[in-house]
Amino acid sequence: MVFGVVYVLIFGPRSEPALPPDRRSDLVIHYWEKWLGPEAEAMQVIVDDFNNSVGREKHIYVEMMSMSDIDQKTLVATAGGVPPDVAGLWDPMVVQLGSLGALEPLEDLAKAHGITDGFYKPVFWNACHFNGHLYSLVSTPAAVALFYNQRIFHEDAAKLRAAGLDPNRPPQTIDELDRYSDALTEFVTDAQGQRHVSRAGYMPMPPDYDWYVTSIPLWFGDNEWDSVTHRFTLTDPAVLQAFRWLESFPRKLGEDAVSEFSTSQGSFNSPQNAFVAGTLVMEMQGPWMANYIHHLRPSMDHDWAAAPFPSDVPGVKDVTYCPFDTLMIPRGCPHIPEAFEFIAFVNRQDEMEKLCMMHCKNSPLTNVSEYFLDHHPNPYIRVFEELSASPNAHMTMQCPVAQEAGGDLTAIVQGVLAMEIDPKIALEQAQVSLQAKYDEFEKNLKRRMRQ
Amino acid sequence: MTSNRSKSLSKVAVYAALIVICGMAIFPFAWMISTSLKPDTQLVETPPRWMPSEFAWRNYKLAVTNEATHFPLWTRNTLIIATLAVIGTTFSSAIVAYGFARIRFPGRGALFAIMLSTMMIPFPVTMVPLFSIFVWMGKHTPIQWLGTTRPLWAPAWFGSAFSIFLLRQFFTTIPEELSEAARIDGCSEWGIFWRIMLPLSRPALSVVALFTFLWAWRDFLGPLIFLQRPTQYTLTLGLQTFQSQHGSTPWNQLMAASVLVILPVLILFFIAQKTFIEGIATTGMKG
Amino acid sequence: MTFTRGEIRNLFKGLAFLSPWLIGFSVFMLLPIVLSLYYSLSDYNLLQKPVFIGTENYRALASDGIFWHSLRVTLLYAAVSVPLGLFMSLGVALLLNVKLFAQPIFRTIIFLPSLVPTIAAAILWRWMFNQRLGIINGVLAPVLGWFHLPTPPWLDSSNWVVPSLALMSVWSAGNTVVIYLAGLQDVPRDLYEAAELDGAGPIRRLWNVTLPMISPVIFFNLIMAIIGILQVFDTPFMMTKGGPNRASYFYTYYLYDSAFTYLKMGYASAMAWIQLLLVLALTGIAFWSSKRWVYYQGK
Repeated sequence: MVFGVVYVLIFGPRSEPALPPDRRSDLVIHYWEKWLGPEAEAMQVIVDDFNNSVGREKHIYVEMMSMSDIDQKTLVATAGGVPPDVAGLWDPMVVQLGSLGALEPLEDLAKAHGITDGFYKPVFWNACHFNGHLYSLVSTPAAVALFYNQRIFHEDAAKLRAAGLDPNRPPQTIDELDRYSDALTEFVTDAQGQRHVSRAGYMPMPPDYDWYVTSIPLWFGDNEWDSVTHRFTLTDPAVLQAFRWLESFPRKLGEDAVSEFSTSQGSFNSPQNAFVAGTLVMEMQGPWMANYIHHLRPSMDHDWAAAPFPSDVPGVKDVTYCPFDTLMIPRGCPHIPEAFEFIAFVNRQDEMEKLCMMHCKNSPLTNVSEYFLDHHPNPYIRVFEELSASPNAHMTMQCPVAQEAGGDLTAIVQGVLAMEIDPKIALEQAQVSLQAKYDEFEKNLKRRMRQ
Repeated sequence: MTSNRSKSLSKVAVYAALIVICGMAIFPFAWMISTSLKPDTQLVETPPRWMPSEFAWRNYKLAVTNEATHFPLWTRNTLIIATLAVIGTTFSSAIVAYGFARIRFPGRGALFAIMLSTMMIPFPVTMVPLFSIFVWMGKHTPIQWLGTTRPLWAPAWFGSAFSIFLLRQFFTTIPEELSEAARIDGCSEWGIFWRIMLPLSRPALSVVALFTFLWAWRDFLGPLIFLQRPTQYTLTLGLQTFQSQHGSTPWNQLMAASVLVILPVLILFFIAQKTFIEGIATTGMKG
Repeated sequence: MTFTRGEIRNLFKGLAFLSPWLIGFSVFMLLPIVLSLYYSLSDYNLLQKPVFIGTENYRALASDGIFWHSLRVTLLYAAVSVPLGLFMSLGVALLLNVKLFAQPIFRTIIFLPSLVPTIAAAILWRWMFNQRLGIINGVLAPVLGWFHLPTPPWLDSSNWVVPSLALMSVWSAGNTVVIYLAGLQDVPRDLYEAAELDGAGPIRRLWNVTLPMISPVIFFNLIMAIIGILQVFDTPFMMTKGGPNRASYFYTYYLYDSAFTYLKMGYASAMAWIQLLLVLALTGIAFWSSKRWVYYQGK
């Protein structure tokens, strides 16, 4: 046994991967990214493109490393003085890290590379800024829409017509969404006489509800945070309406029905994925879903369609929520211009479109080529492009205590979906405690600035 | 006077109870192995079945070679950290315990009490300041802490309260005459420690080594906070990372990975059984 | 106070031997504790210098609903798992103390779960507790169905999650059993014989002989449990992420989040100090009450 240990110690894997021989003298840029699998491979293609072109010219070598819990790890590493040079995080971090002073401002470097106002669609450009500084650029964007299984719509056309609904089009309001869902939901009774949902028309469950937590009120006409007055708006009627809508699901299906349905589905990346397996007829998803469907069950490729997720507010359409993946430089990075070379490279139109096509996502750039639209793996890409350019495209709430808000709101969503709390009371409590936390944050910020 | 029949009846009852309890203790292990050998399609069956129709040994290979896991790397890291911690703790705790046990000096009692009381300090109290101390040291001294595995094994080289306590109790059971004889022969205090105490203390030292190893193998909060580079992760942290990957939960692979993590501990246990039980027993000392 | 030459020499020798611990204690224990107190009185996000704010953190904690909630969750868990653990382990130890043929095998088997690294146990139990796919409900469903009862949602329900975690902690309590066993071995045989001669049945013997004799061991386990229970972190972090709806959001978890997710180091330090005071208070109560029920054999 001792011999075995010694063997592992001497011949075992080394911590630091080796650079290719001809690049040993280059400056190494450490790039932490959240992706795994095909998405990571796609990014690696772009990294390789860089290393073989600009990187070779300027003697920069980018090394990409995949990590989980990357937001927290980057934060702690930055605080610990050992951050990565480039971090691939999510858009809420712009505000969180920006407000803590944990990011390097990039507007000057961006301008030098020709990246200014108008380069991106407005929703993305605005979200990359905080407090007047550009803190991030985009690696890949998203826009969420309604995915629906057209084949099931047609198979159950009789049921839909009986409910007064048109099987040839998707629901256009939240109310219609509910009615389509009710008509298409099926149940099964088990040996103990209990009723379980066997097929759901629509069901609020992960990963959809990752979006909900901070954005579901958007389809009801409001937001959870007002960035002008710096106040949470959790007690606004539209926000309450949104949560009451969530509550309507366990109310009509059964207290445990939502959690039971969501935990008993197969994992997201398997043929047992609820939407792919047909146990979920409609869902709120991003453009990449087309890719997953194609890989998990190609026979389904022509069964589905995408449309804007219905809004509850009459006259307001093309509402979407646009999160995105960021490329940022943590404070304390010793090689900022070189790190930015890589970030700028990813944002060249040809590279960006290449990456977004591989990831099956829409593009953040204002200029989109016909080739992109015609050859994109998602046949409905134009829906997503229009949505992300629409005036009703919203970004994440620009709140410095968004992390804590996220924690509270996740708890509320979970509680509401299990019918364990009343949305009105929960939102009122959250409003008070979250507002207090923000006010505390602002007070500390002002006090710090006075010093 | 108790009749023989009621005595044997009660024995049967005890047997039955113990068999049930042992069954419940073993049951999760069996289920873990069963799940680890299931092919993907049989994972989401309801009701769950025990025997997979085919033994998917490939799950083990997948768990180890999965791009989200770096089993060999994690094992190596954990081994290094654990070994360093074991050597450091055993050595330094023995030295300090000798001081407490064998040298009568003013203030000894008070210092011992202080040392014991440090066992009650919850880790969260010190973990935040330790983090900033390490940051400060990284900036102002040539020694880097964060970004290395140092925070996990370096403190061990300064003694651990638990091990010091254990060893000290043990040392006090060794007769004074042995030390006296050596002292008369002109041996220095260090010499007595090195040549007389240590060789006699092999059982106690093995207990300390074993416990420190186990603790280092399983430590989670420490690695979670102090390890910054993914290439330095330990098994526990790595496995948790694997579990928390976005999107999919490949339970069969996760079970396979867990089996692999448990196996070394079980093997160690069976080899060192006596030492184990002895060790726990001596920690449960009265008073 | 004057020292003799011998005492002074011993002092040097003693401190020399103690030096590793003295250095370690100062740097890794004393300094952090002092700093921690200072941070608890500051606003500190690790990226910028700490700013002294007096007792504001403590006042904010007092009105922080999540703080009280996490404290309640932890105390609830303690109230369930500590008695459950202590008594079940004692029961098992008593059973294991009976001279039986396969005794060593039984002891080994019962001890095994305590060796399992927390992460493996967490993954395993999370899988077993799964509402629809887990084996626990798989086994219970037919039984409960007979009584027309639904299967419990275990980790997915706010009501069941803490008892589920407590149940899991009993499974891995092997080392508590072994400690009890060691204590049980030490009970003098002649006391049992004397009691039998006096006509005491097994229950009386248990109550009047065994329990008092091992009360120091029970006390030891109780203290260890108190110290440990307020620091529970690994299992909820790995299994439930504090959910659902924060039902398993333990005290140390909120402390960790405050420090390393929200970067409110000052706030977290204040929480840590409150935790320390609680441990001291509970241990103090245990010690005080021990005078009433712990009996030490003549020493």
